[in-house]
Amino acid sequence: MSRRLLGVAVTATLAVTLTGCGSGGSSSDNALEIWIRQAPDSDSAKTAVKLADAFTKASGVKTKVVALFDDFETKLNQQAAQKKLPDIVINDTAQLGNMHSQGWLREVDKAALAGGDKLSERAWVAATGSDGKFYAAPFSAQAFALIVRKDWREKVGLEPPKTWDDLAKLAQAFTEKDPDGNGQADTAGFVIPAGTKRGYASWYASSLIYANGGDFIKSTGGGHFQATVNDPKTVEAVQYLQDQFCKTKTVNPGAVSNDTTVTHEVFEKGQGGIYLVGPYVLARFVKSVGTDKIEVLPLPKGPSGGPGTLGEGENVYMMAGSDQQDAQKKFAEFAISPEGQRIGMNKDANGAIVRLPVNTQVDMAAERQDPRWKVFQDAYANAVYAPPVPNWAPIRQDSADTINAVWADCSSNVKAAMDQLNTKLTQELQSQKAS
Amino acid sequence: MTSTLTEARSRTATPHRRTKRVRWRGPLVAWLFLAPALLLFLYFKFIPMFVGLWKSFFKVQTFLGDEWLGLQNYQTIISDADFAAAIWHSVLLALGTTVGSLVLGLGFALLIEGPARYLWFVRTAAFLPVVTTMAAVAEVWRIMFHPAPSGMLNVIIGWVGIDAQPWLASEHSSLWSIMLMSIWRGTPYDMMIFLAGLVGVDRTLYEAAAVDGASTWHRLRHITLPALRPVFWILFTLAAIRGLRVFVEVYVLTNGGPNGSSEVLMTLIYKLGFQKNDLGVASAGGIVLFLATLVLTLVAQMLRRRQAT
Repeated sequence: MSRRLLGVAVTATLAVTLTGCGSGGSSSDNALEIWIRQAPDSDSAKTAVKLADAFTKASGVKTKVVALFDDFETKLNQQAAQKKLPDIVINDTAQLGNMHSQGWLREVDKAALAGGDKLSERAWVAATGSDGKFYAAPFSAQAFALIVRKDWREKVGLEPPKTWDDLAKLAQAFTEKDPDGNGQADTAGFVIPAGTKRGYASWYASSLIYANGGDFIKSTGGGHFQATVNDPKTVEAVQYLQDQFCKTKTVNPGAVSNDTTVTHEVFEKGQGGIYLVGPYVLARFVKSVGTDKIEVLPLPKGPSGGPGTLGEGENVYMMAGSDQQDAQKKFAEFAISPEGQRIGMNKDANGAIVRLPVNTQVDMAAERQDPRWKVFQDAYANAVYAPPVPNWAPIRQDSADTINAVWADCSSNVKAAMDQLNTKLTQELQSQKAS
Repeated sequence: MTSTLTEARSRTATPHRRTKRVRWRGPLVAWLFLAPALLLFLYFKFIPMFVGLWKSFFKVQTFLGDEWLGLQNYQTIISDADFAAAIWHSVLLALGTTVGSLVLGLGFALLIEGPARYLWFVRTAAFLPVVTTMAAVAEVWRIMFHPAPSGMLNVIIGWVGIDAQPWLASEHSSLWSIMLMSIWRGTPYDMMIFLAGLVGVDRTLYEAAAVDGASTWHRLRHITLPALRPVFWILFTLAAIRGLRVFVEVYVLTNGGPNGSSEVLMTLIYKLGFQKNDLGVASAGGIVLFLATLVLTLVAQMLRRRQAT
């Protein structure tokens, strides 16, 4: 009898719990929910909490910061399916089209956003949707540069590279001349996240493609685009990298399967000496490798064009369906204000969620003592953002699959592969009704 | 008089009700015990499965509302060349992992079968890979697979004069490398099931065979293997299903690369759903995978029954 009672009790408890799950359980404290794509408990997540706390102090609006890194968009999808999106999302600029096409974003009236006129015009480009309207407040910007092992470069006796040839020679010297002096051939020139997760192979190649004057697609006006990934300048950049993988073999072993998490470690372990990457890892590398061993150099322009690098950053997205629209706007205004930008920059310490400030009134040199940040800031002047197609995610993923394939298979013909990719991107643009 | 009649009626009714109650009590208790598990399955498994089936007919837009597409998602996924390649890789991986784990599992089970006291330690140690989280196992193997000559596996094969291998870094060896790790992880599981099966083999048959002068090989072939036939079927079915659903190891080790050489159904579906945000096509892929698994299971069951009769 008691057992049966136990069974009934367990069942009833489960039923109540499950029903509780199903109802969603909205937060009763009415705090402004802010999601940021950063690892929980990371330095960056702590900076986000600092920013939110300062906003609460200034405005009286309560906030709740949720830091998530893995499968961020998957979790947003789950929230969207329940029609319970967070109020604010701080996420990559490249995700704008993806989120906008799902109807997740509120339009932003640039003129009505206090402080909007103080932001750089280039940053506003990153907040523009395929219809030319704005769907975010720009928050952080970044361009890419080479983080190089200075001690290695000095040991092999080479100057900072001025051309792609110089860069290739430096990589070769790092691979062949035992720059760490341990007597073993265990170093590489380039460290590259060349896997396909989140489109990394394409993400990495972008900077070289833009540095050579190439592109993936180009605007033909009126919200229409044309695939240009088989353009000679683009092919030349991908070919240059294929040569590094296949001819001179100056890329870290296993790169074709690696994402950025692994690649950061490869650099930190001293397995490679040249990392083309954003400024967000600078403080981390300075701490883990040693400040005197690290230098930041601009990516040389390609033989056929440039200069240029990938432009990226984060936006503050005001999400649809929120019942706190006024507080959403206030938060966005605080985030782009000089105070919000300074908190997000976190000085020279690890955990900057504002890499380069987008507010023109903020002087980066006054905030950060480390002059290496300036190389990234200078590169931003020539940064190229992903074009405002309805959804950039499939274009980046398809490009990553093809670029990964030509780097992994040394017998493959880059031009032929890029021709095929061009056809695929044309079809993708058609399916997005953007061709 | 009236009261007597009433009493008589009630006297006949009570045993009837009692038998009815007794008849219901067994199933009721069984269902009550099943209820918690069923509720959990219903909520976390069956309802999502049906939602997945439903979504596979739509262009899924989580906030704007879904758009009916009919069978278009199925056409898209089935005509996709990557999908065909992923099926082939999944089958190859499932087959290799299943056969490898079965053979090695049986071998190990035969080696460590017996009542000796120290064996519990060996069995526990051998079983450890099964209880370790797949993501952690894959991460450790990724480090072991480091393709430079200083990589752990390359150092080991270097002792016997074999050159350093690219392992996961080459499209020619990525799938085989993942298979190697999966076999390493699957073998102890199969071994334990075999050990349980071996306990059930009648010892007197061995003794009789020994008296008749049968060699070890003959005893294995004519007594042990036939006795283990049901175990083989269970393991084969489980391993094949597990093999087709493989995800974490591939996602962590290669994410389907390089050059799509290790792309399996689950990683492709994940990529379509969450990296390209095409949830409708991904759902269609999931349903196709479900049907493939179902067919495989039914075929295995049919073959087993046919052999049993």
